Amino acid sequence: MEYENFPQTEPLRDGRSVIVREMTISDEARMVEFFQGLPLEDRLFLRNDVSQPEVVHHFVRDTEDQVLNLVAEVDGKIIASATLERGLYGWTRHVGEVRLVVARPWQRCGLAKVLLRHLVRAAPTAGIEIIKGQVAGGKVGAQKALEAMGFRKEATLRRHVKDVAGRKRDLLILTNDVSHIWEKMEALNADFSPTQGE
Amino acid sequence: MASTGIRIGGLGGQGVILSGIILGKAASIFDGKNATLIQAFGPEARGSACSAQVTIADAPVAYPYVQKPDVLVVMSSDAYTQFIPTLKPDGLLLYEEELVTPKDLPPGVKAYGIPATRIAEELGRRLVLNIVMVGFFAGVTGVVSLIAAEKALLSSVPKGTESLNLNAFRRGYEHGRSLVGTA
Repeated sequence: MEYENFPQTEPLRDGRSVIVREMTISDEARMVEFFQGLPLEDRLFLRNDVSQPEVVHHFVRDTEDQVLNLVAEVDGKIIASATLERGLYGWTRHVGEVRLVVARPWQRCGLAKVLLRHLVRAAPTAGIEIIKGQVAGGKVGAQKALEAMGFRKEATLRRHVKDVAGRKRDLLILTNDVSHIWEKMEALNADFSPTQGE
Repeated sequence: MASTGIRIGGLGGQGVILSGIILGKAASIFDGKNATLIQAFGPEARGSACSAQVTIADAPVAYPYVQKPDVLVVMSSDAYTQFIPTLKPDGLLLYEEELVTPKDLPPGVKAYGIPATRIAEELGRRLVLNIVMVGFFAGVTGVVSLIAAEKALLSSVPKGTESLNLNAFRRGYEHGRSLVGTA
């Protein structure tokens, strides 16, 4: 399904710009390089050990549950990965989840928000009504980026995250209910005016 | 001076009025023509008969009611039965082919159908059936330009729904172009 026209050049807060485009199978080697370049602390927040080439091999190919898989690129090098995933079956198939990782030199310049904006825009098109994001307690920048895109804290799972130093932190679940977007479209399509006849 | 009278008929909740608004906006704001819209709907929000009359003309429109449409767009069987007698003898019928079965077509009328509901469902939202029909109208008739119609669409639908609506419009448009042989 076509969500937006990619690639797009996106200006960042600090004056730099990046190219945002959809990931392809041919990105495998660059994705390995990107993930292996992440500090261990950042990699721990990911679901899989993406420093392993075979994990990335599957990540770029097994895209059935990926609604949109974006990368940000500068001079041919991948500097961020953003994915919107969804369950294909079951009670929560209307719920999507965002996964986002940005290389350290490109953090704190608005890139996370840029990528999240694309993912949030794509969600209603794919029939997703609620988007979920997970953030480790203390990751203020990530939490703020999600909140700026309409996410609100839904739950706190206490001591669910263990960082590189072995410290336990809370895991925050933030959600964004995007179903209201289509409620507006329904209202537009209602062919009904409550003021008719007044 | 060219003038095209359009009647769009369907059920409340199908987005009949929004279809008329998009066509009128495309013509008047983005194509530089003149357009008027008359809307009629029942007291219920859903399921009642609903219609929109749109006139698109090069010159200012002095009389906005469309009694004998040049183009009839129907999205329900009732709308077809009700409005087909009003279509001009050489008029054009555009219909949702899974909801409407044209019968007793007046001679000279050209008819084109589209499975708009199925297309909308394939795209993930039955709700965009009307947008598929708007694209179909633009593709078959050329009364509004593609660029104007897309701009009107994007300025009329809620934020966040643009890409699916645009996909719906383009599916309808392409189907229309393929039927008239100019794809």
